[in-house]
Amino acid sequence: MQVAKFAGFLSRAIGNQGETLPGRILLALEPEAISLLAQQKEVILVSGTNGKTSTTRAIATIVSQLGPVTTSSSGSNLSWGAANALMSDAPYAVLEIDELHLPAVIAQTDPTVVLLLNLTRDQLHRMYEVKRVADRWHVECAEAVNTVFVADIDDPFVNYSIANATNVVRVSFEGRLHPDGAVCPRCGEYLTWAGGHYSCSCGLTNKISELKFADGSAAYRNAILANVVGEVLGAEPVEFEASQLERSISKDVGGKRVHFRLTKNPASWTEALRSELHEDVILVLNARQVDGIDTSWLWDVSFRALQGHHVVVCGERALDIAYRIHVEGIPSTVSDTFEQALALAKGSEISVLTAYTAFFELAM
Amino acid sequence: MLQIIRIHNELLGTYGDRGNADVLQFRAGLRDIKAKVIDVSYLDPLPKSGDIYLLGGAEDAAQLLSLTALRKGSILAHAANKGAVVLAICAGFQIIGTNYSTRDQENAGLGLLDVTTTPGDRRLVGDIAVQSPLFTVPMTGFENHSSVTTLGQDVQEFGTVITGNGNGVAGIDGAISNNIFGTYLHGPVLARNPEFADLLLERALGEALPTVIDELADHYAHWRRNVARRNVAKSSI
Repeated sequence: MQVAKFAGFLSRAIGNQGETLPGRILLALEPEAISLLAQQKEVILVSGTNGKTSTTRAIATIVSQLGPVTTSSSGSNLSWGAANALMSDAPYAVLEIDELHLPAVIAQTDPTVVLLLNLTRDQLHRMYEVKRVADRWHVECAEAVNTVFVADIDDPFVNYSIANATNVVRVSFEGRLHPDGAVCPRCGEYLTWAGGHYSCSCGLTNKISELKFADGSAAYRNAILANVVGEVLGAEPVEFEASQLERSISKDVGGKRVHFRLTKNPASWTEALRSELHEDVILVLNARQVDGIDTSWLWDVSFRALQGHHVVVCGERALDIAYRIHVEGIPSTVSDTFEQALALAKGSEISVLTAYTAFFELAM
Repeated sequence: MLQIIRIHNELLGTYGDRGNADVLQFRAGLRDIKAKVIDVSYLDPLPKSGDIYLLGGAEDAAQLLSLTALRKGSILAHAANKGAVVLAICAGFQIIGTNYSTRDQENAGLGLLDVTTTPGDRRLVGDIAVQSPLFTVPMTGFENHSSVTTLGQDVQEFGTVITGNGNGVAGIDGAISNNIFGTYLHGPVLARNPEFADLLLERALGEALPTVIDELADHYAHWRRNVARRNVAKSSI
């Protein structure tokens, strides 16, 4: 482990992937490292399409009342990221885990609590289908008999995932529509929806749950879910501002106040477009691996909320988004660079909605 | 009023194909041709009077549900026989074929196109470009599927694959027969390729369309074709 930590020091010194290199080396030296390191800890895992990073951060804050916590570096959610965080001596590990990696990490860490947030379409070039991910979760959740699963069952894919699990806290927020929830993930029948509530002849429904809360924004729901996890572990609840649970950052750039918000798939774009936006809006879209290399999903988002705003688009796939909103009747200016886009803004406050890689380049 | 029927988008909408209807309506509107998009859910009866019927990509269970609903009354086949335009993408393309099988079962399709689909041994994911005899320029899109589709006697391919996989066999993509079009191109395909959208509108209206210029659409299509050309150049080095 010392070798791996030293490698981390070296790699930070040369400014290259310092956050996960020790984990990668550790796993190369000792493939069982995650299982071995996890044995001495209370492990809490967080997974889902949207909200992993901010909810993990919130849980780490809550759990820190109980003792020292080690947690994932922002967004580093593959197995080496987990290995990296587990190298700490802290008794609690709160880890965000990529959806496809979750089953393996559950098997390796025998976690105390797993929080399952949601499953919607994202990076389909890698995930292929939402159902494929849910099937893997379903199998592994049934195996993990020592783990408590906290599950937002308004998402039918999450509900199906924990259907055969032993210890479950099912949470519902009065139901909500799911963008990909027409078919029952358990039996393949057409799901019957009434408002945000669904039910299937096979019995899958969100009408029955251990905990019920009022509906609200994704940030609000994730704060509650984080506190439910805390309660399972015996921690006192912590109050969060909504902004603490959004992937958003505000900073001054060139004399303007710029509000960045991470938006990476149809569900998170829809959520972001529901929020209050300034008159000047910049949309930034790349399509590298973590952004999703297929941009077709843009057509599943309604951008009508941008009507009347001054919209500038940029990024490697600016034209995809420019044409998509053009067909919805929203004019925009295509800009070659983000700096140029900022310069085109009319006011002093600008809302920037941006997909993954651009968010990290521009906002961090 | 041109009726564009978007079939079972809640089932056949996994890969953004709903945009095909929006683009058709938009490009009709550029010519002052009135068009409306009618969303038909799994629970609704399929209208008989559509001018253009659209089917998109889907996950396995959703695809099967859609097929089951569309079998009732054979409305789509009747409409196609009367000359209605049908554009079916990916899973939609598979279900309008003669039959398609998954690892679990074999299903008789709707029989609009003489094609047969079987499971392949790998997932075919990525940018795709196709040269179709219908157009002077290549069609571009994005594919994401794992099936192999074989053509029978009564259909022609939609085009020859320039880059990507298409049907997964014989270097071709899709199938066409009269006004019925099947392809693996998402994107959505009509957003990426305005020429294709206009062809479908012309077939539906039975007459040539007045030329309009939508610079952004052309610029977008041109750019994607250039990207495809670069991909070809790179892979041949």
